[in-house]
Formats: sequence, structure tokens, C-alpha cells
Amino acid sequence: MSTAADPVLDLPFDVQPDPEEYLSAAMRWHFSPETGAPFWLDRADSLGFDPLTDIRSWDDLTRFPNLANELRFARVEDLIPRGYGDRPDVVGIYESGGTTGAPKRIVLMRDWLDKLLGWSSAQLDGHGVPLGANWLIVAPNGPHMVGDVIKQQTKYRGGLSFTVDLDPRWVKKLIGDGKAAEAGAYAEHIVDQVAFALETQDIGVLMCTPPVLERIARRDDLAKLVNEKVRAINWVGTQMDPDTRHLYRTEVFPDAVLYSGYGSTMILGNASERHGLTDDDPCIYDPYSPYMSFGVVDPKTGGTVEYGARGQVVMHHVSKSLLMPNNLERDYGTRLPGLPGQIGDSVADIAPVQEFDNETVIEGVY
Amino acid sequence: MAAPLIELDALGPNGPFRARKRLTVTDVTGVPVAELSLVPKLFVTRAMKALRDAESLPAAERIAKLAAAGRIFAEEVIDGLTFEQYETTVARVSGVPLSVVRDATAAIVDSAEKSGWAAYQAQPAGAVSDWRDRATLDGSAVWTRKGSVFAVHAAGNHPGPHSLWLEALALGYRIAVRPSRREPFTPHRLITALRAAGFGADQVVLLPTDHDAADEVLAQADLGLVYGGDDVVKKYAGSNVLPQGPGRSKILVTADTDWRDHLDTIVDSISHQGGVACINATTVLVDGDPGPLAEAIAERLAAIPSLPPEDEKAVLAVQPTESARAIERYLLARAAGTNAWLGGDGVVEELGDGSAVLRPAVHQLDRPDAEQAGIELSFPCVWVAPWTPEAGIGPLRHSLVLTVLTEDDRLVDRLLDEPTISNVYRGDHPTYWIRPGVPHDGYLGEFLMRTKTVIRD
Repeated sequence: MSTAADPVLDLPFDVQPDPEEYLSAAMRWHFSPETGAPFWLDRADSLGFDPLTDIRSWDDLTRFPNLANELRFARVEDLIPRGYGDRPDVVGIYESGGTTGAPKRIVLMRDWLDKLLGWSSAQLDGHGVPLGANWLIVAPNGPHMVGDVIKQQTKYRGGLSFTVDLDPRWVKKLIGDGKAAEAGAYAEHIVDQVAFALETQDIGVLMCTPPVLERIARRDDLAKLVNEKVRAINWVGTQMDPDTRHLYRTEVFPDAVLYSGYGSTMILGNASERHGLTDDDPCIYDPYSPYMSFGVVDPKTGGTVEYGARGQVVMHHVSKSLLMPNNLERDYGTRLPGLPGQIGDSVADIAPVQEFDNETVIEGVY
Repeated sequence: MAAPLIELDALGPNGPFRARKRLTVTDVTGVPVAELSLVPKLFVTRAMKALRDAESLPAAERIAKLAAAGRIFAEEVIDGLTFEQYETTVARVSGVPLSVVRDATAAIVDSAEKSGWAAYQAQPAGAVSDWRDRATLDGSAVWTRKGSVFAVHAAGNHPGPHSLWLEALALGYRIAVRPSRREPFTPHRLITALRAAGFGADQVVLLPTDHDAADEVLAQADLGLVYGGDDVVKKYAGSNVLPQGPGRSKILVTADTDWRDHLDTIVDSISHQGGVACINATTVLVDGDPGPLAEAIAERLAAIPSLPPEDEKAVLAVQPTESARAIERYLLARAAGTNAWLGGDGVVEELGDGSAVLRPAVHQLDRPDAEQAGIELSFPCVWVAPWTPEAGIGPLRHSLVLTVLTEDDRLVDRLLDEPTISNVYRGDHPTYWIRPGVPHDGYLGEFLMRTKTVIRD
């Protein structure tokens, strides 16, 4: 038996709750002993404020500490709100990080996934991604969340999923160790597997990272298959510069819809880029508000940067299934105003931390 | 009103490409001069593939078009610039004195005209250049390309090195040039001229990139050429990329020769071309007391005026003040413990507009194998050291050019036998002497070509 929740926590995906009412219901859910998760209930006393009375506006979320690191050690059972009862409908336990050191673990609940799928599927409709298409998902599967969620999304939209697994931790280790050739060989191994699926199956949508897409584009036979079969390409995982996007859209894969996604396991979801953007526009992501919301802060002061300025991305998740405020991502992005009615900011042109090339070459004549 | 910026597009296989990502190229005072389009890796990959899929022009056509390109380079308005405006721009941006830029661009034109002849100087005496030659009826070596696509990571210190890859074009390679961000004007003008002369866009491309995509230019080529320091030489040694490393050119005066008779040549070897070239002398070794020679060099070099690079009379190279100061700090730190005849208190003279002249430095070392002897800097900076026959070849190793002022034929034999000395000039010849048709660091053709036996009916 699950404990009854405030109905505002269980609205259909396309019904927007009143934000303040929603926030206050979520606080009651997560900080009531009957419904909250032990993870939060155990920490309620040390917060220094009372979430039930002191969190009144969405800006107040920043009063919470960033507890993401504690997810490396927490028992996952303690992350599940008690209100879900004795038989919580858990889709999966997923991990974030873990290239070096312990990964962070998070729980994906069925009710949140259903809501997310409804919303993200509507986003895909906006991009013109065909319904009923089969997807080739070249992305990490377990313990990572993305592969599973996209498989569920494909099913939701009436298609079949083909997968090529990708181990991002291993790739990052190789690159970190300076083993570029081995990382390249691994990427080629991925592309070899993509080739079999593309050659033999009706693939309508291709999801992959920009480096894999570049390797597909490099092989004439695969580029031809993509142009024949694939109607939409969803790139994720790292940034893609505007000139490269332009080349794909005009020269390499001119007939496919090319769009990107950005999100985080720590907020249990992702957003597709805003549809209708041209190659000259920034690549903007609007989160599924109010459940997911973004901010952009100065990494030194922690203060919010001006609109149009770049900073480190902060993500919040507030749903019935999870409260995870103030999760500071490693990515940098440009802060932009959100869409009308949206909680928080939109972010654009996501990129890793800027590395400045201040190496001054002194000796020698070149 | 500031002058409009010069747009330097990438020159891809489908023509000029103006990228969204552009780098502002400034002159030595920091004033923006041009915007350089930087292409992403995907653009590089596709351009390299287009080169690979193309076919080379017949030899006679290539050579005629190279000569025509030289004339277009020197005579026509390209990117909105006359030849003179282009030369002034290169001087303003690279800081290389205008007279040096003019010598270098004249050398490029000369190389373009002579490249058909110069490139084939490397052909072995036993080989012919075409299998159709009658020699193959009896069996003969034919000189053939090792690959078809050649990549160049160009240098920006001086326009001169761009004359080298023209030989590869003459030999039938398709070529990708990644320009230096410091001076992209010369390769842009040269490739535009080559295309105007009839080389297709799939024969020669200009691919300005950031670091990420730079490796792709080399990775997708059969053979490559890169310029850089010891790290670059180490990285590419023995690979399909030919590194052009530090010059560390030297002059040796033995006891049987009086340096006073050759002071002009010695001083010129140090300061000609503003000291920015790998063929400028870095070290002068003398059998005897190096003091008087160092003093005489210092006296001559001290008299050179400090002028902006575009001044007709400029001799010394100019840099943004900040980078000039960084070089100065480096020199002062490394020169500690040596005897400074010139530049011991610093070498930077600010011009008051954000740029600074790097004035000459002359330091005396107390032994030929002092660690400073190998420090090559991009301005007239010379290390004068004692040498004895007992010290032998050791201190002379690793020289792009060695000018030796001696009566000793046996010594010249030994210098020619030394593998790490690339060129030996005996007598009153400056280290910077170079002509089309003689090798700079071996013939490029030795790297690009091989022989195959052909016999036919």
C-alpha cells in the first residue's frame, strides 16, 4: 500500500502544476516521516532550516546543500520515498560518474519515467522525429540510465530498439591515460557494430555521440546507409560545434533531422534541444519544468551569472520520486531566459570546462 | 574608423568556406587585422578525402601552373590586397621586418617558377621520372611518389618555408596546408594563386583549425611535414611525418683563419632576417679567445636601430610586448653565469604602441659544450664559445647549417660525415645562404619519393 500523495504530485505529463503549490506539496512528501525517503529524513535535522516552512519559492532550493556526493555511499533503499509503500515500482538503479572512484547511484521510479516519456516524446514530435521508427541506440546501457530510457522511449513511440553498448568509463580512462590510439580503436569497434545493424535492419533513428557520428560519416558505405534509412539523428554526450552541425545538415546527412539532447542521470532525465533553431543559433535546452530545472553559476562565487554569460550548470530535480536540488554539473553553458512559465533558466552551448591554452612557446623559431 | 577586417576563409574542396568559428588575427600592437575561419574536424576529414579521391595533373601541367601561380601571387590583387599591401600586412602581423618579408616572398615566387626543376634535383641519377621514358625498355628505375596526399603544419615565423611544399605539388602530391595562426596570410594568398592558376580545389586546400582537428590533417594524409621544437622532432621521428625542428645553425672559426676577415658574414648570419629563421646562426665557436670576437659582434649588432616592422629600414623583428617580455625573462634566466656582451640587462625595447623590438644579445660561454650553446631564440641571440681541435665534432653536432671558416680539409670531411649536421658551408658563406635546387634539410624529394624498377616491351 502506498500512502496517498497530494494529487498535484501525480498530474499527467502535459498538465502544468501551479509551481508554488507543487513545490510545497513536494516538500511535504519528502519531509513527512510517512512518505519521505530515509535519505532526506535522516538529514532533515542538520539542514539548518525547516523545508516545510522555509522553502517557499523555487529560489529557496539553493538553501539545500549539494548532497550528490553522498549518493556514492548511500543505500539505494534509503533513496526510495516511503510513500511508495512495500512494493515500489522501481525501473532500475543507475549510476553516474565512476570513471575513477565510486559511482553515484540513483533510483528510477515508474511513475516518473512515464511522465518523462510523455514529455520527451512530445519534444521529439516537435523535431519531426517519425513515430513508429526503429532506433539504433549507440549509448551506454547499464549501469547507465540513458540506454534504458531511450529503449523505453522507443517502445512508447511504437518502434523497436537496437543497441550497441558503449562503456564511457573505459573511454575516459583511455583518454586520461593518453592512450588516444586505443580510444580510437574502441570507437572503431563501436562503429563496426553499428555497421551490422545499419546494413541489415530498418533503422529510422540513430542515437550516438559526435565522435561516433564522425566515424560513421567517414565511411562512405555507412554514410550512404544513413542517408538511405535514417530520418533523424540524435546526438548526445559531448558538444558539437555549429560549423559541424551545419556540415551535417547541408552536406553529409541533408535528409535527416539532426538534434541533440542534454541531461544528467542526477536529475533522472534529459531535454532535447529547442526545436526550430538554425545553425547560427546557440544550441538551447529547456528542461521539463518544474520537475527538472537549470541554473548557471559562477564557479568561483557560486552566484548566478548574467543572462548571456557562461558558467557552470546547476541542476535540480523535484518530483514525487526524487528530491535532488543543487546538483553542480561539470559542464559549462550559457545562461538564457527560460520559456514562458518555466522554472529557472535554459542553458545553451554546453561544453566541458574551458581549458585555456596559455602555453607560451619561447625557445625555437617556430 | 577601423579598417574592415580581412576575411581569411578556409579553402576547402568545394571552394572558400567561411566558418562560424573565427579567430581574430591581430598585428604586433594588438590591433585586429583579419578573421581566420577555423574549420572543425569533420570539415578536415571530408577535405582530406576529397584530396585522396582526386587525381593529380600531368607533370608538365603542374609545373606550368606553378610558374603561373607565382606570377599571380606577386602581381594580382588577392583577398583585396595588392602584393605590396600583403607584404606590409605580413610584416605588421608577424613582426618580421618588411625587407625580410620581401626577400621571402621573392623566394616563394622564385621557387614557384623553378619548382619543376628544383623538385626533380632529388631524383636519383639512375632513375627516370616517367615509365614512358625509353630507358625502361631496357629496364630502369622510375622515380615514383610514396603516397598521394601530403599534409603540412606550416610555420608562422617567416613566409619562407612555404616555398618548400611547392616541391611536393610539383611532384604530383595533393596537399593540405594547416596555416599558422600567427601568419595565415602567405599560405592563403599562395593557395588562392595556385587555384587561380588552374590547380583544382581538390588538389590543394587550406585548413585552418584549432588543435583538435590539427591531428586529423596529418592522420588522413600519407605523408606530412611539421615545424616545431625538440618535442615535435621526438614525437614524429621515424614516422610518416617529417619534423622540421630547431636549426641551431653554427659558425666555426679555426685557428688558421682570422675571424676579422669574416666579421660581416658572421654578424649577418646572426641578424639577417631579423634572426627569426632556423638558418640564423645560434652559436659561434672560435679556436682562440672568444672575447674579442664577441665584443666585435656586439658592437656591430648594437648599432642596429629599433623600428616598427613595416619600416623600410627595419632589421629587427617585433613582437607584442607581452611575448617579447616573456622571451626576455627566459633569456635572462638561462643566460645566468655567462658573460654578456650585449643584452645582459634585457633585450626588449618597447615601441610605445603595444609592440616591442627584440634587440640582439651576445653572450660569451666558457666552454664549447655549455648548455646555453643550444638555446635558439627567435631574434638575434648568439652564444660565442671557445673551441679547440680536441673538443672535436661534439659541440658542432645538431646543426641545420654549419659555416666553417678553416683551411683544414680533413675537418670538412669529418663535418660532412657527421649525421646530425645537415649542411656544411665552407668559407665566407653566411648560414642563411639558400637557393632553389639545393637541399634545405635533405631534399624533400628524398622523403616523398622512392624508386621502382620498370621493364617493358
